[in-house]
Amino acid sequence: MNPVVRWFHQLGSPPYFDRFAARWAPWCFGLGVLVMAWGTWQGLFVVPADYQQGDSFRILYIHVPSAWMSLFVFALMGLYSAIALIWRIKLCEILAMACAPIGAAFTVITLVTGSIWGKPMWGTWWEWDPRLTSELVLLFLYLGVIGLYQAVDDRRNAARAAGLLAIVGVALLPVIRYSVEWWNSLHQGQTIRVFGESSMDPSMFPPLAAMVIGTKLWFLGSLLLRARADNLEREAGKHWVRQRAGDETALEHTP
Amino acid sequence: MNYAGYVAAAYAVFVVVLLWDLILPILRIRRTLRGVMLRVKRDAAKDVPLPTELQR
Repeated sequence: MNPVVRWFHQLGSPPYFDRFAARWAPWCFGLGVLVMAWGTWQGLFVVPADYQQGDSFRILYIHVPSAWMSLFVFALMGLYSAIALIWRIKLCEILAMACAPIGAAFTVITLVTGSIWGKPMWGTWWEWDPRLTSELVLLFLYLGVIGLYQAVDDRRNAARAAGLLAIVGVALLPVIRYSVEWWNSLHQGQTIRVFGESSMDPSMFPPLAAMVIGTKLWFLGSLLLRARADNLEREAGKHWVRQRAGDETALEHTP
Repeated sequence: MNYAGYVAAAYAVFVVVLLWDLILPILRIRRTLRGVMLRVKRDAAKDVPLPTELQR
């Protein structure tokens, strides 16, 4: 069997996934923190202030990557849920449900930091603007997925029901993305383009790129950690979890 | 730096939410493993024969 395919199959095994997540999550967090620390330092102290917004523009270095993550995580949750529903892969159910709180966290950051930026720039903390409102609906969808997953006792049925909501919710993502073009919006249009010329000054771009990469690494670490927690809870009665609990307790008591 | 208060507040929110995102699953894993360990100890204690009327 192809080694990549074999590794993919092995990853579906709960004990193997537990070892994998325990090993790689700290690395993802560590790298993510390092990259974000560099991006934050550059964004706060090195890049010059914007000629119109002054230093308040520095908020975009956390607001924009978080907003992108809120959309990306929801899309990924929808994808994992679809795979879990079609092929009944238990690990995909776990990964899909682990996405929800992380995505909700990034959505909260997006809404709060946007609101903090809006006060000095727009003169208001909140406006029922299409972009802001659709992002708020995204937060409610995340909360709906989390709530539905917690409301059903059977973990597998709960993941399937919440996964279905996640798949339906993916329809909101293009609405958020194109809301600034479809409706008359107070929120600014697209300034950063992956393909094509961005209207952002090139000197402002490196910290943003670092924050985008850093948040992705952080997400990966958090996804592994949360999936590991859910996996352990589901498998709590199994022999391998007892063994792992013994190992971890022994490690904790080692002087 | 102008708007320093707004910038500081935004970065503080970012750090606090990410810390919450980190700490919560770590606590969950520890709680689960501790619960499993306690169950293992309870099960082991059950296997030890208790002194009963018959033994006396």
